[in-house]
Amino acid sequence: MNMIKKIGMLLAGTFFCLSLVVSPAFSATLNYRLKWLFNTSVAGDIMADSGGFFSRAGLDVRVKEGGPEKNAIKELELGYADFGVASADQVIRALDKGADVVVLAQLFQVNPMQWIYRADQPEIRTLNDLRTRHIGVTFGGNDETIMNTLLAMAGLTPKDVRISSVRFDFTPFLKKKVEVWPVYRNSQGVILEDKLAKEGEFVKFFNPADFGVSFVANSVVTSGRMMKKHPEMVRTFITALMAAWEFAMDPANSYRVLSDITKRDKGTRDDIREKQLGETRLLIKPSSQIKIGTIDRAAWVQTETIMVKEKQVKARVYVEKRLAGPAF
Amino acid sequence: MLFRRIYQFLIVYIIGLAGLLAIKYGMGLSDYVIPGIELVAETAGRVVSDYFFDVLNTLSVTILGQFISIVLAFTVGILGRKSSWVGSFIKVMAYNIQAYPIVALAPIIFILLGDGFLSRLLIASMICYFPLLLSVLGIMAAPIKDIEHFYIATGRMRWQLEVKIRAFENLSKLTTVIAGSATLAMAGTIVAEFIAADAGIGYSIRIALYQSDLSGILVALFMIGIVISVYQGMLESLGEQMKTKWSAPKGGDLL
Repeated sequence: MNMIKKIGMLLAGTFFCLSLVVSPAFSATLNYRLKWLFNTSVAGDIMADSGGFFSRAGLDVRVKEGGPEKNAIKELELGYADFGVASADQVIRALDKGADVVVLAQLFQVNPMQWIYRADQPEIRTLNDLRTRHIGVTFGGNDETIMNTLLAMAGLTPKDVRISSVRFDFTPFLKKKVEVWPVYRNSQGVILEDKLAKEGEFVKFFNPADFGVSFVANSVVTSGRMMKKHPEMVRTFITALMAAWEFAMDPANSYRVLSDITKRDKGTRDDIREKQLGETRLLIKPSSQIKIGTIDRAAWVQTETIMVKEKQVKARVYVEKRLAGPAF
Repeated sequence: MLFRRIYQFLIVYIIGLAGLLAIKYGMGLSDYVIPGIELVAETAGRVVSDYFFDVLNTLSVTILGQFISIVLAFTVGILGRKSSWVGSFIKVMAYNIQAYPIVALAPIIFILLGDGFLSRLLIASMICYFPLLLSVLGIMAAPIKDIEHFYIATGRMRWQLEVKIRAFENLSKLTTVIAGSATLAMAGTIVAEFIAADAGIGYSIRIALYQSDLSGILVALFMIGIVISVYQGMLESLGEQMKTKWSAPKGGDLL
């Protein structure tokens, strides 16, 4: 009896503490959760805030930094965020598990996840050139899924290449233990390129999109509930955000954009930040005809097909039905 | 002791899981945020055997790391017990190194040892060693005046005897510290696997995290909890047996 009482008290205490932690709030301030830390990759998001795009649209938005353990879709459901940035695989996984998420805009038209290799190595002109290469992948990460797809397309098996697990630091690549290393082209890629150039080494990048694999990266998302209850607010938000991104990606505004990024990303050198902005521009707006935020439906369907094939999700979730698009 | 450890862990785990499920159903959250009991059960069925061997893999490094830490901590603790300068130097060093985030030290370790077994072992030992050292140093540096006085006065005191007296008088504390350090060694190994390894339960958790698979993480936590409870329970039982043996050698009565 005593024991049951104790367990009961423990349970009650736990529920009380948890109820204090979880607060299903909706306030006048909108929370926008980014996927990663403040850096040049989120130039448009920073400008939307510091450039007054949100406030001029009559919105009070708190732009919150992301990070490795932050997940915008979970925060949407928990009421901690109203809008967020998530990668396509996160969206598809969430839909697979019954989450109510809607895609408003696709930020990256080209996935920044690419592979770097030294220019003195044989060039990767065809997928068959991957044969016998020592390739780094993050086991469980997007790059593993993408690499598996590329190898399958080339008719190669994991035995035809040498795969190594990658981690946070670049030592195996710098020490030439691994030849082909996954990087985010517009952030880590620029830093590594600069570092190796100082040592007299030059690099090339292997972009899966050049070989027909368009795995979608970061996109702006919200919940279906938000879309239904506050469609006007969603429209105002996404219009202001896309305008901020157009401003941020316009080379004419580089000085202003870089100065605003510097205020939030103090750890990066100015020249690196400038190069990163240039690379980000190529991924977000690869040509003047492409409007920022355009949703590439075919790429989304391909991303889902790859994930089904790779057993990342059990069955199709028909992600195309959840692509609202910036002009909905 | 062993049985108590296991059921205490089960109570904690069930309370935690019940709390999560209460939030899930109370707030109507999807399986993506908090997995339902069916999804956890389905995931467990799929991964439990793999995770079990992963935990055993981690445990093997843990045990070795803990053993190295215990040997080192006792060696340094015994050597440093006399000199107040050496003792305080070791303490300062231990406090400082404990404050360094292992994630920041990891790249240095990987450059020196590469990523694999040795890095895991070193990180596990580092996380386990310093708290253990501080406890051993504290115990070994504190004289048991009532007993030691007799041997000092009769000129029969030797360093081995001094260490034995202090260890015997603090046997409960030492047993608790050693059993507790198993958790630290396990946490250290998991951290190392999380940062850079291609084996062990930390590595599997990292993959589950990449895929936002909370059900996989819950199964992994269960496996870690149950295995570490058994291991700690065994250490505590061993400590009890040692205490009994020391207290009543050669079949004598307990004091």
